[in-house]
Amino acid sequence: MIEVSNLTKSFSDLRRGHVVALEEATFAVKPGEVFGLLGPNGAGKTTCLRILSTVLRPTSGVAKVAGFDVSTHPVDVRARIGFMSNNTGVYDRMTAWEMVEYFGRLYGMDEDYLQERIRELFSTLQMLNFKDMLGSKMSTGMRQKVSIARTIIHDPPVMIFDEPTSGLDVLVARAVLQAIASLKSQGKCIIYSTHIMREVEKLCDRIAIIHRGRILAIGRLDELLATHEQPDLEELFFDLISQDEERVVVAS
Amino acid sequence: MMRWKNVRLIFLREVRDQMRDRRTLFMIAILPLLLYPALGIGMLELTLLFSEQPRSVVLLGEEHLPTPELLIGNRFNSVWFLLPDNAEKLEVITDGQVAKMAAEGTEEPDERTKRLLAQARAIQRDLPRQQELDRTVRKAKEDWTTKLQRWANAQARGEAPSTAPLEVIEAEVEHQRLSERQREGKRDLGRLFAASGMQVLVIIPPELKARLEELNRRVIDNGLSAVDHVNYPHPEIIYNEADDKSLITYNRVREVLEMWESQILKRQLELAQLPEEFTHPVEPKPTNLALDEQRSANIWAKLFPALLVIMSVTGAFYPAIDVGAGEKERGTMETLLICPATRSEIVLGKFLTVMSFSCMTAILNLLSMGLTGRHMVTKAGGAAMSAIGDLSLPSPTALLWIVVLLVPLASLFSALCLALATFARSSKEGQYYLTPLLMITLGLTVFCISPGVELTPLYSILPVAGPALLLKKVLLAPIATVNSSLWFYVLSVLGTSVGYSILALWWAIDQFQREDVLFREAERIELGLWLKQVMREKAPLPSFFEAGFCFVIIVLLQFAAMKALGLAAASGASGGWLPISKAQQALLIQQLALIAAPALLMGVILTTSVRRTFRLYWPDAKLCLVAAILPFVLHPLSYELTASLHWFFPQLPDDMRMRLARLTDPNQPLWAVLLVLAAAPALCEETAFRGFMLSGFSSTGRIWLAVVMSSLTFGIFHMVPQQVFNAFLLGMVIALIAVRGNSIWPCMLFHFVWNSLMILHGRFGSQWWEAVGGDTVFTRLTEGQLRYHWPALVAASLIAIPLLSWLAQSPTQLPIDPTTPHLGTSPGPLAIAPVSHPA
Repeated sequence: MIEVSNLTKSFSDLRRGHVVALEEATFAVKPGEVFGLLGPNGAGKTTCLRILSTVLRPTSGVAKVAGFDVSTHPVDVRARIGFMSNNTGVYDRMTAWEMVEYFGRLYGMDEDYLQERIRELFSTLQMLNFKDMLGSKMSTGMRQKVSIARTIIHDPPVMIFDEPTSGLDVLVARAVLQAIASLKSQGKCIIYSTHIMREVEKLCDRIAIIHRGRILAIGRLDELLATHEQPDLEELFFDLISQDEERVVVAS
Repeated sequence: MMRWKNVRLIFLREVRDQMRDRRTLFMIAILPLLLYPALGIGMLELTLLFSEQPRSVVLLGEEHLPTPELLIGNRFNSVWFLLPDNAEKLEVITDGQVAKMAAEGTEEPDERTKRLLAQARAIQRDLPRQQELDRTVRKAKEDWTTKLQRWANAQARGEAPSTAPLEVIEAEVEHQRLSERQREGKRDLGRLFAASGMQVLVIIPPELKARLEELNRRVIDNGLSAVDHVNYPHPEIIYNEADDKSLITYNRVREVLEMWESQILKRQLELAQLPEEFTHPVEPKPTNLALDEQRSANIWAKLFPALLVIMSVTGAFYPAIDVGAGEKERGTMETLLICPATRSEIVLGKFLTVMSFSCMTAILNLLSMGLTGRHMVTKAGGAAMSAIGDLSLPSPTALLWIVVLLVPLASLFSALCLALATFARSSKEGQYYLTPLLMITLGLTVFCISPGVELTPLYSILPVAGPALLLKKVLLAPIATVNSSLWFYVLSVLGTSVGYSILALWWAIDQFQREDVLFREAERIELGLWLKQVMREKAPLPSFFEAGFCFVIIVLLQFAAMKALGLAAASGASGGWLPISKAQQALLIQQLALIAAPALLMGVILTTSVRRTFRLYWPDAKLCLVAAILPFVLHPLSYELTASLHWFFPQLPDDMRMRLARLTDPNQPLWAVLLVLAAAPALCEETAFRGFMLSGFSSTGRIWLAVVMSSLTFGIFHMVPQQVFNAFLLGMVIALIAVRGNSIWPCMLFHFVWNSLMILHGRFGSQWWEAVGGDTVFTRLTEGQLRYHWPALVAASLIAIPLLSWLAQSPTQLPIDPTTPHLGTSPGPLAIAPVSHPA
């Protein structure tokens, strides 16, 4: 469902000059699988996911989502993905219901089906008690639920989550993770970025560890632990990062 | 492909969003409903409370006043006022009062009176010198304008002018020198006057009373036949028109003196036994045909265009910031970008929203203002307000015109505001970016409501000014005068306005497609850091922004040096380092120092490849040939096009035309004219416009945009409207040559041949006409100019069209350096605003 090969993104920055945010990334994600992107802040996770969601254009390389190239068919790609990140906010002057309804209509959903789907989502996500509340009055948990409902309203085959739990309290974060787990069981193709090890261990089938725009290791967690001879994910992660840091120091 | 369903969805959402916003509601509802009525009431109260302070008039020579009594104590006699109450508003200080006080010994005159009188005498002393100066300045001006007129007349008849241009300029310089002295004298006198604290000074000449009495005596004794000539000494009135208080006082004093004079005249007529009507042999009786609604139309014609422009820009202002920068600020931009709607659909939806609010704000505000105005007039009973005129609402046709012209105005402002607001990172930044737009609009509005400004073909194609002036025209025109010329203007205004709006909208969509605009984070901006970045990321070619900056620098330099160059040109003398006139030297310096040098300097500092920037490559022989032939076939076409469009452009002032003509004065050696007007521009202007700027503008990867931008800047640089138009077309051709061959040399060749042809045509055109034996199938002589017949134009077109289409065929040969990957997205105007790191 997601195929990425040699994906590179670079741009210029006032302080750092020419920056390569993502360098020659290559991976694939199948339906019914949760693929984790694990890396520290500024590693290139968001850049990668923004390219997959067609918001950014790649400098070079190819990314295909649900069979469509993100550079040449961005509209088709967007119609088949659900994207949620801590940057995808909720409109202040719209109620929860209006917001989800609005995006459902933009996805071109049939009006009867849309209403039925919203009712269903609002009851499973327990949102009926604030369905007429304006975005500006909602708590963080409520906003996150609206975002999830907005992401899955059109039942997309591919879902992209960019650090969806950052800044959430434990209860809300748990609910989000449960929602994602249930989406996985429905056979969705999910890509998930985070810097929290526990979430990766619980949720992801395969992971890629990313640092300074480069993928350092990719594979199933147990395979990675075995090949790198590390006891757990945390050790593996810090070992790979420090090796990479050394490489950068030597190179310069 | 545009899906209107999405546009409609986005539009409806944005409108609902705006309606839930307090600021929008304030602008479109609270402001019109409450503010204007409140303002109206406030104004009424102010007019009731208003009262005037008495003003001081100093009168010297009271003792020379003839009867009847002009003064009573320290006031003018109230019988000389139309409204007798006004007498109390003027305090008159005279030397006679002081003398009387001193004689009676009743009380000492106070310090203020003494001071006022002393200063009045000082002014009286200096006055004659100033009057003498005024006379000489008048004479010098007369001298100058006659000479200029004589020159222009001769020029128009196609004869050799009897007045040499140099003479005209010397007369002008002399006039300027004298005017300067006159100004100084006026300033000194004005300072004295302002410091004194009086508003008007009246000086009665010593013989006034005596002469009048003597004249009257003669009339009584010997009848009217005894008066062979009359030589009245005239009183002087000194005031300052620039000072409101002084002006009002002056008008009152004049009213008094006129009434008083007519009384004196009446008495003289009685003595001479003549009827009173004797002095009014021609008293025209006016009949005013204006209907009441037309008088009100006049008021609205002045007010509405301005209000419409201001209201539609303010109406677009906040909604644009909210749907553009506000979306980024509230963190919903990415939410919107990942929905299936395309960027164009999103921008169009937002644009329609902004435009609706712009229109609504304008209509509601104007309506409320109109109604409040009318209400006030009826309430105030017309006393205070009738001076302004009838404020009843304009006719339904006029209202229809307002709505029709509101659409192009609102769409242009909406698209511009939206593009700027999208560029901004936050609402606050958006306000900063939009303020200049507001200022420019206000400037244009002030221009449009200035009394003398009327719609001309040129103005009709200007943005904002076109619709505003058209509205002024249709509001002023009685219905009967709606004719074909009006429809021409309507078409041209609406057509160009739609064009501007589409351009602005295209820009807004472009902004919305740039990731560096959409994902910028609020970052500290430091000049040092930015400069470092500019130097660090030196590309082989300049950026779009650098090209624009180069243009601004060049234009500013021309502007700054204008006066110095003008003076050098005016001095007219020859000498110095070249055997050419000072004016020609000045032009040469301008070309080298103010056009070529800045571009070269920027090229050396800001790029890594001077060679590629300035296209210093060996040219293709074929292209050189084309560049040398093209001017010959394009010249007749361009010449006749300009001639056929002369009605469109405003006529240049005489003195400017003379200066231009003087540059090509046939008395100068040909080589000097060719050097200054052909070789130097070819070298210098090409370096700047087709060298640095074209390279910079093409950094976006859009070749046609680069060609148009470089020609547009080249046109604007020429300032005079006719030349702007010509230079733009010419710039297009030269830019195509540059892009096609990637070499600057053919461009210079073309430019040199072109300018030389223009000079030779002006200088030897008539001689050539004589040499070929008068009018031919191809050419004729009209008003001393060699003109082309249509066969010449057809022949020229037949050669020009294939050559031009060959040039335009593949304007894609841009130098792409394989070693550094050019991303296609230049920093553009964003070089100032850092690109954030989307991590």
